[in-house]
Amino acid sequence: MFKPLDPLLHSELRLAIVSLLIGAEEAEFPYIKEQTGATAGNLSVQIDKLSAAGYIEVEKTFKGKKPCTVCRITSTGLKAFEDYVEALKSYLDVK
Amino acid sequence: MEENINMTAERSLEIITEQIAQSRRAVSKRTGQSLYISGLCTMGMAVVVPIINLLLKTTLGHLLWFALPFIILFVLRTTDKDQEHAPINFVGNLVGKTWVTFGIFGLGFFTLSIVWNSILIHSVTDPMAFVAHRVNFSPIIFLLMGMAVAMTGHILKSKWLVWFGIIASMVIAIGSYAGVGEMILARCGAPLQMVAWSNSFLPCVSVFVFALFGLLLPGWMLKKQK
Repeated sequence: MFKPLDPLLHSELRLAIVSLLIGAEEAEFPYIKEQTGATAGNLSVQIDKLSAAGYIEVEKTFKGKKPCTVCRITSTGLKAFEDYVEALKSYLDVK
Repeated sequence: MEENINMTAERSLEIITEQIAQSRRAVSKRTGQSLYISGLCTMGMAVVVPIINLLLKTTLGHLLWFALPFIILFVLRTTDKDQEHAPINFVGNLVGKTWVTFGIFGLGFFTLSIVWNSILIHSVTDPMAFVAHRVNFSPIIFLLMGMAVAMTGHILKSKWLVWFGIIASMVIAIGSYAGVGEMILARCGAPLQMVAWSNSFLPCVSVFVFALFGLLLPGWMLKKQK
């Protein structure tokens, strides 16, 4: 029996953002952009979607005089990611 | 990477694996860079301190060790500007906190020992009483440093670093406590004056070796990791 996949995470870019944040405590916007290869506009939209769902936390600060956007995974995001991986296992036939 | 919602389970798994691995690599590189720079600065200081001590015929050059954390912080901040977007994670933080803890304990113990020894030298008239009651801080600092190296090895899952930290710190601490360095110098026919002043340079040799194997080499290995 296939488990339903979270539609918010079942998108290449959003899944990449959350996976990236799983391995790091926090990451800056340019780093995520560089690693995912996404455009700034598209990345910004997807980050907003994840933030609105409470999966990630977005903090806008300054690094010296430059504006800096820092993203962090939340406990809701972590739980959603765990559930997504669990659901994925049913498709991959992994016990 | 585009907004694709019709991806297969295999592709999802591939994205997750790829991104987690990328993130770990970036963090490892950043941690490696910090260890490498800390090692270089410590080794540099281990060369400068004995030179100053020998030139000025004093042991006051050891006070320069207090400047080391600030030098490391300054160099790290300067070089970090090139990698300002690198993420931070638990492993990097843990290695950093291990060395900061070592720094606090090491410098704190060093300060208290110097204060105690200074009070003692001015309050006792018998040199033997001074020798009996003075604090020999080098062995304790080597043990603390070995602990920091071993803990770094545990965090970075590097067995050789763990064993190096344990064995080297114990051997050097015992050797330092027993005055093996001075004995070797005397055996090698070094002038008596040099043996008497060995406290001004021998601890620096051990610190140099520790910094080379405990900081510089693991840092370089992490930096070069593919």
